[in-house]
Amino acid sequence: MRTYELCFVADPRLSDEDVVAMTEDYKTLLTSKGVEITKEESWGRRKLAYPIKKLTEGKYVLIFFSSEGGAQGLADVERRLLQNDKVLRFLTVRTDEDLKRAARVVPRRNPNPETEAGDRGDRGDRDDRGDRGDRGDRGDRDDRGGRGDRGGRGGYAGRED
Amino acid sequence: MARPKKVFFRRRKVCKFCVDRIEHADYKDLKLLQGFVPERSKILPRRISGTCARHQRLLQTAIKRARHLALLPFTTD
Repeated sequence: MRTYELCFVADPRLSDEDVVAMTEDYKTLLTSKGVEITKEESWGRRKLAYPIKKLTEGKYVLIFFSSEGGAQGLADVERRLLQNDKVLRFLTVRTDEDLKRAARVVPRRNPNPETEAGDRGDRGDRDDRGDRGDRGDRGDRDDRGGRGDRGGRGGYAGRED
Repeated sequence: MARPKKVFFRRRKVCKFCVDRIEHADYKDLKLLQGFVPERSKILPRRISGTCARHQRLLQTAIKRARHLALLPFTTD
């Protein structure tokens, strides 16, 4: 079973009914190919992070769906989305593998680690390898003489221009 | 020549995803993603955020997806 989510950004000048009609259109196209729609979300009008086609807002719609063995009809829908100039952006993501991986991990640290020693959930963090020191700290080499105080180059603060 | 060596105290950085057990970086989770894109909207490097390699990879795709959908800016000027 594969699950997907399809998100598209519609032209904000379309009325809500038009957007709904459009969404229904895509949904029927999907269901006709044996895909099951599991959820639908509409975020309504939302400001875009950057202008697209001189527009600063967009209407966001999400469709969650699942299918057995690949989504037929998805290619058709994507082609339609691409051709529709009322759609500013769209994105389809296959989510089942990510969600499966997420489900394997214990959602919260268990309050009593001893009792669940056999639980393998902890392999996720291998934090201890991470500590190779900060690369930011190179400023402090006295042996170079003369160049004096160039310390403090680390950190991000200096670079946020 | 022997200057006293400067001592740096640095908080040990930990991967937010490991700590909070977030295993799925969702492109829709703007609250999460925004913590990793500072003012210029560049992706915060691992060396600064302390995110582990695996999670940085997930984060990276999530941020890029969000950018494509104009949920996050590519840059701010």
